[in-house]
Amino acid sequence: MQIKPILSALRHHKAGTILIAVQIALTLAIVCNALFIIQQRVTQLSRSSGVDEAHLIRIQNQWVGTDDKDIGPLMKADLDTLRRLPGVVDAYATNTTPLSNGGWSTGMSLKPGSKGERTMTAIYFADNHTLNTLGLKLVAGRNFHASEVAPHMPHDTLQPPQVIVTKALADKLFPGGQAVGKSVYLGDKPSIIVGVVARLQVPWVGGWASNWEGQSTLVPRQLMMGGANFVVRVKDGQLGKIERAAPAALLASDRMRVIADDHGVMTFTQMRQDVYKRDRGMAILMGVICLVLLGITAAGIVGLTSFWVGQRRKQIGVRRALGATRHDILSYFLTENLLIGVTGVVMGVLLAMGMNQWLMQAFEMQRISWLWVAGGVIVLLLLGQAAVLAPAMRASRVPPVVATRTV
Amino acid sequence: MLAYYLRLGVRSLRRNPMLTLLMVLAIGFGVAASMTTYAVFRAVSGNPIPDKSAKLFKPQIDNWGHANGRTSDDPPDAMDYTDAMALMKTGKATRQTVSYPVGLSVIPANPKAKPFNVTGYATYADFFPMFEVPFQYGGAWPASDDTQHAPVAVISEKVNQRLFGGGNSVGRSIDIEGHRYRIAGVTRTWNPQPRFFDVNNTGGFAPDPPEIWIPFTRAVDLQIPTWGNNNCNGNVSPGWKGWLYSECVWLSYWVELPDAAAAARYKNYLHAYAAQQQQAGRFDWPPNVRLHNVTEWLADQHVVPQESQVSLFVALGFLVVCLVNTIGLLLAKFMRRAPEIGVRRALGASRGEVYRQFLAEAAMVGVAGGVLGLLLTAGGVLGIGMVFDPDIARLARVDVTLVALTLLVAVFATVIAAFYPTWRAARVQPAWQLKSN
Amino acid sequence: MLKMTHLSKVYRTEVVETYALRDFNIDVKEGEFVAVTGPSGSGKTTFLTIAGLLETFTGGEYMLDGVDVSGLNDNARSKIRNEKIGFIFQAFNLIPDLNVFDNVEVPLRYRGMKAAERKQRIMDALERVGLASRLKHYPAELSGGQQQRVAIARALAGSPRLLLADEPTGNLDTQMARGVMELLEDIHREGATIVMVTHDPELAARAQRNVHIIDGQEVDIAEEPRFQAEQAASSHG
Repeated sequence: MQIKPILSALRHHKAGTILIAVQIALTLAIVCNALFIIQQRVTQLSRSSGVDEAHLIRIQNQWVGTDDKDIGPLMKADLDTLRRLPGVVDAYATNTTPLSNGGWSTGMSLKPGSKGERTMTAIYFADNHTLNTLGLKLVAGRNFHASEVAPHMPHDTLQPPQVIVTKALADKLFPGGQAVGKSVYLGDKPSIIVGVVARLQVPWVGGWASNWEGQSTLVPRQLMMGGANFVVRVKDGQLGKIERAAPAALLASDRMRVIADDHGVMTFTQMRQDVYKRDRGMAILMGVICLVLLGITAAGIVGLTSFWVGQRRKQIGVRRALGATRHDILSYFLTENLLIGVTGVVMGVLLAMGMNQWLMQAFEMQRISWLWVAGGVIVLLLLGQAAVLAPAMRASRVPPVVATRTV
Repeated sequence: MLAYYLRLGVRSLRRNPMLTLLMVLAIGFGVAASMTTYAVFRAVSGNPIPDKSAKLFKPQIDNWGHANGRTSDDPPDAMDYTDAMALMKTGKATRQTVSYPVGLSVIPANPKAKPFNVTGYATYADFFPMFEVPFQYGGAWPASDDTQHAPVAVISEKVNQRLFGGGNSVGRSIDIEGHRYRIAGVTRTWNPQPRFFDVNNTGGFAPDPPEIWIPFTRAVDLQIPTWGNNNCNGNVSPGWKGWLYSECVWLSYWVELPDAAAAARYKNYLHAYAAQQQQAGRFDWPPNVRLHNVTEWLADQHVVPQESQVSLFVALGFLVVCLVNTIGLLLAKFMRRAPEIGVRRALGASRGEVYRQFLAEAAMVGVAGGVLGLLLTAGGVLGIGMVFDPDIARLARVDVTLVALTLLVAVFATVIAAFYPTWRAARVQPAWQLKSN
Repeated sequence: MLKMTHLSKVYRTEVVETYALRDFNIDVKEGEFVAVTGPSGSGKTTFLTIAGLLETFTGGEYMLDGVDVSGLNDNARSKIRNEKIGFIFQAFNLIPDLNVFDNVEVPLRYRGMKAAERKQRIMDALERVGLASRLKHYPAELSGGQQQRVAIARALAGSPRLLLADEPTGNLDTQMARGVMELLEDIHREGATIVMVTHDPELAARAQRNVHIIDGQEVDIAEEPRFQAEQAASSHG
């Protein structure tokens, strides 16, 4: 197919050509960036928390009318109650859990006090049941001993003699080295790393913690505050039952507590849904916008090409009369569309990069990868060809006899 | 003449129903996407207290400097106890209050009823008039209760309903965590969005209205911990007192100042205060203070969620694509009628008449697109809950302004899009008809 | 009524200047029926488009109904077309979307006439061309001759001072052409000024006077073609 005659024909309907090219360019720019946002969100969504989510329940409990210093026995009694429930594997009390989007963070250092470089870490209060409850895998060292677990008053300085850290944190603190047995500092006094677990995500799922989302520390301490989170691991198929039985058992043992009706008891599956709601929603929204946008662009191409075919019926008839085959006519329109499409995607690639640059500055997004842009280019060129197919087929069916008629 | 053009437009649009449908769909979707995201944007970027937003100010004092490897030049977004108490004591502003969020258990008088949790604020009496909290019964506690650390409380309509069946409970007492408080007032449901006075704990949006307020002085006496964020930089001595007098920031300090001159004076005062702290050796950096009013503070804290901004821009881009699409389709549609335009021109239609005829036709496409857009927007606003947190989603709603705006944007955008095709149509030469024979 | 003196029309492209009309003169008196004849490409159609204010001219003077039209803007020209001129085209140029009534109404609409008066005039004009019973028909449902009659009704409805016809029978068969021609003659007899462009000598012969254009200039051969035409006409009838 010769390109020159097509180009000169396009020069005759400049406006329509430019409009389609601009539309393709804008669509490419928006779709690329939207898909890229989707991909980033989906990556976030699919990140593992490191815990056995399918079997875990979190109970937010608030003891009523109790002084912080009297909480120790209450917590012990409640944990006993929970661990004795049939269907429960294990349970422990903590300040927070992964997927809760709220918790403690602090800088951890290899030197005492405020000297030395600090590495960010999330702090999880834990005991000797924690690894078993959450289903964490030890990759080095050991679990806490029951004797190491001690109470912690809210405004005390946190510097336990032992800690367990995640592999991500251990690698960060001791690149390439053995972490177990080494000292780290949360304050002035050293803490010895007694164990390393494979993975435990920090409580925050995005934004400020995204650079250190795997750096968590378990401390063998029980936080003596009016509000506590109980984490309960259940046996297979017992989740629904324990969800009701656990709070009921706690209330039966002591009425002076509050477990909120709405979010007081939650499975980790629900927590994951809640915490990633924005990410999932954003991905869906962007997906819908992409689809509709591609649909509208395709429709626009169909509309304008149909108009051109209608306008050029006579010309097509003449070509047919002069010996052009149906296939020639078809490929004429396909090539024409491809030329416009290529112009559009070239502009679109520049626009997409510009838009990404701006998003990076305004919203701290990452740089878009060439793969996404290349994918977008291919999708739009194929879309253009598909959209032009129907009107081009109609053009190819124009009978040569049209040439002899005055329209 | 307009009626004539509208009739012609309907006829022309009905001649190519597919093309017309395409245009209506493009505009409908484009407008709906923009309007839905705009509804959210409007909800989250609204002014929570329009008549006073320029009179309420949030002072910030940098009590951290660059200690412990801190790199930010901005003062912390909350205030520490020492500075808050110092500012409170001098009381330089018309009104001032310190507050922090509290979560408290209320024990009903009826032994059969379960205790329940309420959230609210420990604050000063000025809180209520400053932030224009509406009252159903009673009012704020007197300022003397602040100085006397009195056991008084203000409760919300909802708590009042639960405890006292909604009657006037002023003067009665409630049991909060084993302590008795006298009720000074019952507020109407009050939940300004964004929650400007507590951005540092809520990020700007809190689904549930505050339910209880108790004097700050009393709460500190009872060592009631903050239900919100507590950020520390440097070491903290053990115990409540150690924490209280640490450099940990956890308090929201707000002042009310009558005008810009007063604000300038107050900022000077903050500066002088920080300088004095530097001299005393507490800060080893020069004074670094801020004084933002409500709108400045919300902007400074980036309260409008990124999701909402990104999607607003994407939706605007979407609308632009839809308009480019409409320009193309209208161009096709109008130029196909070049013969008709030539005849009309020959029969005496001026360019103006051609403009009016074709813009009227485009406006009808716009109206149809607007109506479709309206339906889709209504659906979209319902679906917002999928994308945004429920506490934001519930703010976005379809009201008269949104309906009017949707239709207006649709018609206006379509007419704008129609200008180029119409201009081309009006340029059709009347002689064209004769020449083409 | 229509007077052109030393009129010229030049088409300029990047490479060439083409004179479509050169030093062209014509003077049509009120009530005359003039045929403008000439071979293909002689400038007949250009003359008609300028006469009908569809195009501007390059030089010379054109007085229409005593008004110098050279300085008029687009709006004023539209107004004159609408009020003083009626067009009859070779290809009829009815608007396919509109029915007979609506097609005839088009020029009246642009005159801002009241509905009752519009209706009266449309009915009168259609009565005049014998199509009063076809109000609701669309152009596609009519024969060529009927379509041209509708076009004539449209030209007449505004009671123009001047009727301009461009090969009015060019797209019609002989029988239909004769009917249309008779209609034009009737209209002329009733006092209308008609200028008709044609390349058909037989048709031209039926006019009162012929103006012949060759290469954009009028050629005064008024007597000779008239003679031939009369012969042709008599042999016909």
